[in-house]
Amino acid sequence: MIRIPVYLFVAQWALLAALGVLVVIVYRQLGRLLAGRGEATDLGPAVGSAAAALTYLRPGEQKERRLVPGDGQPLLVAFADPTCPSCEELVGTLGAMAAAGETAGLRTLVLISDPPSYLQISDVFSATELEIGRPARRDGLDPYRVSATPLLVAIDAAGVVRAAGSVISAAEVRAFARSCMLPAPAAALATIPASRSQDATSRGENAT
Amino acid sequence: MAELALACKAAIAVLLVAAGGAKIADLAGFAATVRLFLPGFLPGFLSGFLPARTAQALPRMVAATIAVAESAIGAASLSSPLVGWLNLVVLALCSGFVVVAVIGYLRHPGRACRCFGALSGRAFNLAAIGRAALIAAAAVVAATPVSGSLLRLGAAGRLGLLAGAALIAWCAYTAASTIGAGRDAQPGWVP
Repeated sequence: MIRIPVYLFVAQWALLAALGVLVVIVYRQLGRLLAGRGEATDLGPAVGSAAAALTYLRPGEQKERRLVPGDGQPLLVAFADPTCPSCEELVGTLGAMAAAGETAGLRTLVLISDPPSYLQISDVFSATELEIGRPARRDGLDPYRVSATPLLVAIDAAGVVRAAGSVISAAEVRAFARSCMLPAPAAALATIPASRSQDATSRGENAT
Repeated sequence: MAELALACKAAIAVLLVAAGGAKIADLAGFAATVRLFLPGFLPGFLSGFLPARTAQALPRMVAATIAVAESAIGAASLSSPLVGWLNLVVLALCSGFVVVAVIGYLRHPGRACRCFGALSGRAFNLAAIGRAALIAAAAVVAATPVSGSLLRLGAAGRLGLLAGAALIAWCAYTAASTIGAGRDAQPGWVP
């Protein structure tokens, strides 16, 4: 009869248990992907809806500022945090586009939830020339449904949400920027389904 | 008691291997957590005598070192149970987790811990301190002396456990990569 050392027996069960947990995690994630839904299906405001006004504070300032969509200027509002790597990519992309003049005529605002002191821990956030603010209160924030970051919301000059989603790449951000700078009939907007980031990107490209 | 000590030792070793593998899969994310704990003056101080790119890459290098060290210590502890000082290294590492959890809760409450890379979305809170304390307690139990006859392994046994550790690290890496690929967005945004 073969005798298995006690420790080997225990260690094998520990390995087996860990393997089982990891298989379950991968299986669940695979199920999510096959079902076509990501982690944040309720991310962002509904496309076609009127964007809500927001109050925010710039770092180091005490005076509250108010963002009022629909004042005639298209808006790109990025909800991002310095502690989120994907947010750094988005802010870097927005910054590069602004430097290249690709967002001329468009107001870009980056809203963070982290305290302003966190800006220093990110090279991208601390160096960006973009306007950065932190919501002063929750009023008006709920319609944006910021359940995850990064979230980019494109709002046209009339204050209507034209695209919303978790986008990072330059191509996606450009599509968002285009979507909010082009006029669109309200009826066409109403037919556009509100969904996830990839859909939002194609919405942006097609909303002509 | 000896069986409990062995179970704790094996469980913590496997946990370290899995955590290390998952962290390697999301180094950028874990580096963002590392940055929370680096003194603010450090990048500026280092850029004085290091190339700027190297100074900027410091959090990522620290993150990679922690992840690889975690996996290596876990694998060594799992496959070399007779090496007593490894128990103390594991205990020191687990005590470090408690310190990080407490500092994280006090200074950065609600921020993502990324202790298991993309596998876990848990944040620095009281529950995280409790979990870290539990792991440290298990490490204390694992460090209690056990009869050598219970720990004796042949070369084949050690090799088998090392292969098992590598498999777990690879599975954790794959699982974390899969989840990370499907989730660019980081959950939570509470101003």
